[in-house]
Amino acid sequence: MQQSDNLLQSLSQCFLQTLAPNPEPRKQAEAFLRQAADLPGYGIAVLQLVSGSTLDEQIRQAAAVNFKNHVKYRWEISDPDAISTFTPIPDPEKEQIKGLILGLMLTAPQKIQSQLSEALASISSHDFPQKWQSLLPELVSSLSSSSDYKVIHGILQTVNSIFKKFKYQYKSSELYRDLKYCLNGFAAPLLDIFLKTGQLIASNQDLPAVLKPLFESQRLCCRIFYSLNFQELPEFFEDHLDEWMGEFHKYLTYTNPLLKETDPEKESVVDQLKAAICENINLYMEKNEEEFKDYLTGFATDVWSLLMDVSLLPSYDRLATTAIRFLTTVSKSVHHSLFSSAETLKQICECIVIPNVRIRGEDEELFEMDHVEYIRRDMEGSDTDTRRRMACELVKGLSVHYKEQVTSMFSTYVKGMIDKYAANPIENWKEKDCAIYLVVSLAPRQVTGGATGTDLVNVEQFFVSQIVPELQSQDINDQPLLKADALKFVTTFRSQIPKAMALAVFPNVIRFIVAESCVLHSYAAGCVEKLLLLKNDRQPRFAPADVAPFLQPLLANLFSALKLPESQENAYVMKCIMRVFSSADIGPIATQCLAQLAAILGQVCKNPTNPSFNHYLFEAVAAVVRKSFERDPEVVAAFESILFPVIQVVLQDDITEFAPYVFQILAQLIESRRPPLPSVYISLLAPSLNMTLWQRPANVPALVRLLQAYLQKAPEEIIHGNQLTQVLGVFQKLIYSRSTDHQGFFILNTVVENLSYQTLSPYIGQIWNVLFYRLQNQRTVKFIKSLIVFSSLSVVKYGHTVVAESINAIQPNLFLMILEQVWIPNLSFITGDLECKLCSVAATKLLSESPVLLADSAVATWGKFLNSVVTLLVRPEEERVNEETDVPDLDEFVGYATVYAQLHNAGKREEDPVKEVKDPKEYLVNSLMRLSSQYPGKFPSIILQHLEAPNQTGLAQLCSTYRRTLV
Amino acid sequence: MESSGVASHAPGKREQIKTSVGAVAGQRRRKLAVTLGKERRDAVVRGKRIRRADTNDDSEFMELAEAAVDDENAYKQLEEEVSQAVQNLKLALSTSGKGAATKKLEALRKLRQLLSFNSAPPIHVAVASGAVPILVDCLAFGSSEEQLLEAAWCLTNIASGELDQTRAVLPAVPLLIAHLGERSAVHVAEQCAWAAGNIAGEGEDMREILLSQGALLSLSRLIFSAVPSVARTSCWAMSNLIKGPSARAATELMSIKGIPECLVQHLIKGDEALVAEVAWILVYVTVLSDSCTAVLIHAGVLPPLFQWLASSEQTTVLTPILRTLGNIVSGENAKTDAVILAGHNVSGGLCGALLRCLKAPHRNLQKEGAWVVSNIAAGSMEHKRMLFTSNLLDRLVHLLKAAAFDVKKEAAYALGNLCVTPKQAGTEPHPILEHLSSLVARGCVKEFVNLVRLPDAEASRLGIQFIELVMRSLPNGQGPKLVEIEDGIAALETLQFHENEELRNMATVLLDGYFGDDYGLEEEYGSKVVDGNAGGNDVSDYPSWRRKGTVGV
Repeated sequence: MQQSDNLLQSLSQCFLQTLAPNPEPRKQAEAFLRQAADLPGYGIAVLQLVSGSTLDEQIRQAAAVNFKNHVKYRWEISDPDAISTFTPIPDPEKEQIKGLILGLMLTAPQKIQSQLSEALASISSHDFPQKWQSLLPELVSSLSSSSDYKVIHGILQTVNSIFKKFKYQYKSSELYRDLKYCLNGFAAPLLDIFLKTGQLIASNQDLPAVLKPLFESQRLCCRIFYSLNFQELPEFFEDHLDEWMGEFHKYLTYTNPLLKETDPEKESVVDQLKAAICENINLYMEKNEEEFKDYLTGFATDVWSLLMDVSLLPSYDRLATTAIRFLTTVSKSVHHSLFSSAETLKQICECIVIPNVRIRGEDEELFEMDHVEYIRRDMEGSDTDTRRRMACELVKGLSVHYKEQVTSMFSTYVKGMIDKYAANPIENWKEKDCAIYLVVSLAPRQVTGGATGTDLVNVEQFFVSQIVPELQSQDINDQPLLKADALKFVTTFRSQIPKAMALAVFPNVIRFIVAESCVLHSYAAGCVEKLLLLKNDRQPRFAPADVAPFLQPLLANLFSALKLPESQENAYVMKCIMRVFSSADIGPIATQCLAQLAAILGQVCKNPTNPSFNHYLFEAVAAVVRKSFERDPEVVAAFESILFPVIQVVLQDDITEFAPYVFQILAQLIESRRPPLPSVYISLLAPSLNMTLWQRPANVPALVRLLQAYLQKAPEEIIHGNQLTQVLGVFQKLIYSRSTDHQGFFILNTVVENLSYQTLSPYIGQIWNVLFYRLQNQRTVKFIKSLIVFSSLSVVKYGHTVVAESINAIQPNLFLMILEQVWIPNLSFITGDLECKLCSVAATKLLSESPVLLADSAVATWGKFLNSVVTLLVRPEEERVNEETDVPDLDEFVGYATVYAQLHNAGKREEDPVKEVKDPKEYLVNSLMRLSSQYPGKFPSIILQHLEAPNQTGLAQLCSTYRRTLV
Repeated sequence: MESSGVASHAPGKREQIKTSVGAVAGQRRRKLAVTLGKERRDAVVRGKRIRRADTNDDSEFMELAEAAVDDENAYKQLEEEVSQAVQNLKLALSTSGKGAATKKLEALRKLRQLLSFNSAPPIHVAVASGAVPILVDCLAFGSSEEQLLEAAWCLTNIASGELDQTRAVLPAVPLLIAHLGERSAVHVAEQCAWAAGNIAGEGEDMREILLSQGALLSLSRLIFSAVPSVARTSCWAMSNLIKGPSARAATELMSIKGIPECLVQHLIKGDEALVAEVAWILVYVTVLSDSCTAVLIHAGVLPPLFQWLASSEQTTVLTPILRTLGNIVSGENAKTDAVILAGHNVSGGLCGALLRCLKAPHRNLQKEGAWVVSNIAAGSMEHKRMLFTSNLLDRLVHLLKAAAFDVKKEAAYALGNLCVTPKQAGTEPHPILEHLSSLVARGCVKEFVNLVRLPDAEASRLGIQFIELVMRSLPNGQGPKLVEIEDGIAALETLQFHENEELRNMATVLLDGYFGDDYGLEEEYGSKVVDGNAGGNDVSDYPSWRRKGTVGV
């Protein structure tokens, strides 16, 4: 591409148009740029526009954004096999770009600078340092020659982003080579600029406008320090420890009122720097404690006093959490004795922990305004960086070495808070909130069955005295935060609360499902759901009979909750509905329940937004269907009339998110039907064989499941409708891909299970051809195992003769070849009880009946086959299965727009295809005995020759177990 | 459906990375060729060495040089003296006639004294004043032994400086190498070897220059020397020369006739100072070449190594020996067997000797020792059994609980490796339940949970892999409960936003798989109905055979 003025002109025109409000010219411009981007020289041209200081600022900025993306997608095409629509940037142009970009970035206005900085970072991720040796020296020389902090900021920002990889990649020779290069080049300049900026800070104490960029630059230096020191302590830093630590100390104790922010949400530059320093000293404390120990006492004092007067405003959150984290690290280390005195412990707990645990205005606001975020933080552990969580971590850290003292102190605090609350419940509700928070949070986080206890309080007593009164409160909307705390307590300690007590508060808990507060009714639903999951000796703690008395109000409240504002698609509520349906006895009201679910389903079909909610909704539907059919199969007709209208909507409107669910529900309905199937199902068969549906990966498992149901319940209809060819077409499509071949076998196996050989015989040659083609061209362990299972099933269902003949029809003697090369060597890798049984029974049949194997010329094959069968039957799976997994095909997983989600409630039960055989071991021994009595003296010698020693012993043991002898 | 929300909805993605969770440690790690950190203070200073003058070397500059260490004015004066000395030497070289040779030597010695009386002489001044070309002149063939020695000494100390100073010495390389030869006086050859060692210590490119000019062969002859200091200096220089990262030089050295045997003899007969230098050669050979390692073993290197390992108190000796052994046992199992066999000659055997290091007061020895153990623990089942039943186990558990970070991490590698069956190509290791249960009973879960939280990607990965193993393997679903009690959930949660993608994914998989929304369903519906993903006990990367519908009924 010629970089003529004309071209630049038209490009700049295009960039202007990409900003146009009118979609027509915008799209045109975008299309033009996409095309132009494939031409060599495009990147340089755009970069020219970016640097054109005479151009309109808007155009330059749009060009900068475009350049950033251009570089991101076209610098290196990561996967050479993937069909990429992008043409990579030619190498000479790359060199040109690398020569220009740094200079441009450092002189550009801020907005453009940040785009170019990102572009530079993404180039570096490929080329730096090996293929871009000039970058670091250039950065260093600009750094030392510049006194403009805008430029310095740009340099440090760039260095920070290109060094970031050192703090998350694993050690490797390559990483160390790069790191060493960066250390050689930048360790000394970093210290220089840090000291130099420090002097400027000292001499400009009363000029906030000057100080701010200086502090920002220091913060970046600290981040770079972190990256360079992350892997291990580099020599340079160890040699200059005094200088670095001295500076760190200086800033941790620095104050300057002029730099305070007025906005309570905005972190000041000084605090940003302090937080970065806390991270650095925490890193040293964790990893280089020996070299760091001389500085430790000083820093502990610094951080300590910093925390003593750090404000509770949100703008100080980051500083507070990083500072607390440092103290936590110290408390767990060998230097914990710094905190050993009773007075110190007391101060930490009272002046640092408790204030940070107390609920703040911001938390209350979150409780009211953003229930999703509040729950995520409060209940689901995404609060790893909050003050509350960090303060609790500090308590846990102190408990490592001072458990008794800490526990007794906190028991006292909790008691004190409760007393204060009791003195004035309205005024002092936060005291109780804090008490419950501490009790819950200081127990280890446990999901399984809830926490096993706490040392702070007696759970049962606390429950009775503090929690039950909250739950019994008259007004369910009064002090919702405390009620939510109470429910969180019940959920957390659910397994510790005796059943009778829990049952007694059940009605109280149910009331809160319709409380106004979203957090509160979500917690109530979640609490019920978790209680219903509790087990005693594998039996549910709350049996259907226990729940029966509350069932009506519980369901009524749950469905009412879904009408509350902002909770129309509340996943906690829907999950609870699902749990109730799957665990309680809903017999008489099932139809009514299903109708309610169908109505909701009809609503969400219009605009599916919340995947969790929808998932539980379908689970709930599947649960009702499953439970009801177990009780009364006749109910299916009523269910069909409720469900079909929505199912039709999903299929007709092509609601892709729901299709996999609907196919599973349909399969569930079909499976519960006795043939013949009503015509409405048959009419759905043809569309479900439509290939466009099968092209969506998320549909495949569900459609396979559905097709299996059809094959099972309507084989005649499939044959008469001439749809068997299509079914086999689906099988063929699935078998060719290694990610779906097992699904293809599911179909094929079901065909064999349900169709006679007569029906299948016209196709069998073609089927073997497809399978052997795949075997030849892409042999995977998974495929071979599936092939053996399928062949075994065919032997058992159709007999060994037709299997052998149909294979040999493809090529003479092929059956024996397959046996010798595929079947026998891999038989012992089969896993799964049913699969093992099936394959051993089929092998036994072949061994005792197949003339191919009984021929004198096949003696060795017979012996090896028996050896494999015995391995399969007598050796434990861990021993015989080498866990030969295939290399995963990553590509095949990419691009799941919709992800297949299996419905647990619509799960399928496996059936044994060889029910007539009770014990495959006995079957083998009996068959062998019969066979050997036909040819006395023939087999013992074969066995001696071909069976491995442990298998000889194993077989002998089997014979003696079943009292049989081989002659 | 977006992949947000209930995370259990992504079976495809989950299976794809499943393998990485299952693949517990099970790996041997060689030391990386690149080092960033300071060589530990208690180890000998390796890279470059300055040669200090004897204190009885009578000189007018002695006091000045000593004062210059912490007196700025004295240092300035010293700088001027150096500059002056170089000028004098130039002058002495240009004059001829009676007594010129003596004057020359006198001037040369003065310069050398200035450059060797303290540990940080002003060599930059010497370089800037143009000392190197005249020193090269002084190395001319036919010069007196004394002159050669003094010149080589000056060059040695200049080469011990920073990159630029070392580089300045390059013009002297051909002559330095020439004087390594047999015809040189022994102390001259030694001094030239020293200079070459300093140059080689600078870096890969310097080593290449030396190698291309034939330094290796000349230097190797000095290794055979019966003079202890010559053997020692040449071994040290050689260890610098073969550092790599290319294995070429090390391979070439080992192919020189008699070298492997000579090194073994030094190990048997030498003093600790010589043994330390020899052992560093062994370190580089064993890390760079498997076949050369075999040659060394064949030459009988292991028995004397064990004698020292079991008896020496010097970290300078023990450190390179541990490195060497660690490198050897990171190879195939047969080599580990050879190491174990050789260990039988000392009391307590291999395990006893290693235990001694793990109990040493030096952190670095503990770390190197634990690293060796971790490599043995990645070996065959027999090796794992041996370690497991030895008295090393208690010590490792102790180190895991109480040691400094880097030692702790090595101990964790060792213990983690003990809990899985040997790694085979393309397969995932299985747990060794007996070992795992024993470690769990000793309270190791808590320690591995703590590793997860550390700001170190490897430590986090080790922690999470061990946790995965515990949850997957312990019978009756005890695993997840144990992990919960040790606050493992909170620890895993800290990784969910980690910048390392693998760690992030592993944490998410474990949290979803064991503690996610589906948790409990298995118990409720029986394992057959529940997707194998949710139970987390499925190690394959494709749908389990025990899952629904395989036989298609």
